[in-house]
Amino acid sequence: MIITSATYQKLFNEETNQQENVSIKAVINGKTLIVPLDEANTDYQAIQEWAAIEGNNIIDPGA
Amino acid sequence: MAITRISNIANTLPDDSISNSKLQNVVNFKNIIINGDMSIAQRGTSATGLGNNDSGYHTVDRWRFQEVGTPTYEFTQTQSTDVPSGQGFAKSLKMDCTTAQGSLASDELIRIAQRVEGQNLQYLKKGTANAESLTASFWVKSNKTGTYILNLVDQDNTRQISKSYTINSASTWEKKTLTFEGDTTGAFDNDNGNSLQVIFFLGAGTDYTSGTLATSWEASALNTNTAVGQVNLADSTSNEWYITGVQLEAGQVASDFEFLPVDVNLERCQRYYKEQLTNCRINVNSGDTYKMSYPVNPTMRADPTGSFSGSHGSLVGSTGTLTPAKNNIKWDHTATGTGDSTLHDGTVKLDAEL
Repeated sequence: MIITSATYQKLFNEETNQQENVSIKAVINGKTLIVPLDEANTDYQAIQEWAAIEGNNIIDPGA
Repeated sequence: MAITRISNIANTLPDDSISNSKLQNVVNFKNIIINGDMSIAQRGTSATGLGNNDSGYHTVDRWRFQEVGTPTYEFTQTQSTDVPSGQGFAKSLKMDCTTAQGSLASDELIRIAQRVEGQNLQYLKKGTANAESLTASFWVKSNKTGTYILNLVDQDNTRQISKSYTINSASTWEKKTLTFEGDTTGAFDNDNGNSLQVIFFLGAGTDYTSGTLATSWEASALNTNTAVGQVNLADSTSNEWYITGVQLEAGQVASDFEFLPVDVNLERCQRYYKEQLTNCRINVNSGDTYKMSYPVNPTMRADPTGSFSGSHGSLVGSTGTLTPAKNNIKWDHTATGTGDSTLHDGTVKLDAEL
């Protein structure tokens, strides 16, 4: 599995009145995928492993 | 478990009251393997060029192609109609070598595997003194005769056991039965994670073959004891391997294959992968936000990875935010203009595989 990029997707939460991360838009093996923030999802697991490597990070557009 | 009850009934019934064959046809979901008859292939029926960096699901549902290392071999994986005659099967999974690699590097391998959720395995009582044996049965065919390995891996406790089988006659369907002893060490986690891998080896480097075959459960999965004796299916472009009728069940006896109705089989597969049409066209007002939700049935194993192939209207900026979950798909759009507009029109592929 080759992960090229990962960026949080955000949506406005009317209850908290804030933009919140809802998923990760990632390019994996050349395909754009929407990966949920679910630890049981194997793509999410792979992104966490990828992000733990120095030089890789999940881009947070609101940070 | 229904398995036990039916077995007990069979033992107490008079010989002429009901035949064992009829009892064996009672559907009790005795098969741990999903889609063992290879009948469901939602992703497609053929995938070419499978080799380096191609581990994953390509054709037949629930069956994962796995490679390790940087192999140069390539395979085509197909849902085939070549099946053993008179056994009731309509489909098989075929691996056809299209680029040969005469010998595999020490760390390389070729495998077809199915991963099983731990919560579906609790009745095996693994890790206790009452641990159940497991019996695998399947039909297999290859021009490449010799020794092949079926390996079970307990992912939760990093344990493994392997059995070998021999393809005796070239290009002839043969039924194989292998029994694995129960493991009194290490319980499966009771959750939706990958607890058991059922792995058919098609080739393995010396990192997996240079020891003594692990015919009893042992610690440390994937080592030199994993696949001792395994032939290399990648050593010729003439090589092909077919399999169908895969059943893994509790006990030491292989019963008849448990055929399921296609709708039941499909629904079981859709816990892990499905494709769903989403389509919405409405009048929008510039600056307003539009939220759509589509139910996902059956509920998937976990929140799935989503990918969309289709289009969005220009009045919603030709985009949208997709949020896939285990029981629904949500779309969010913000209108950039006013008028009649497509919000989304296309297919969402949902993947919650193990």
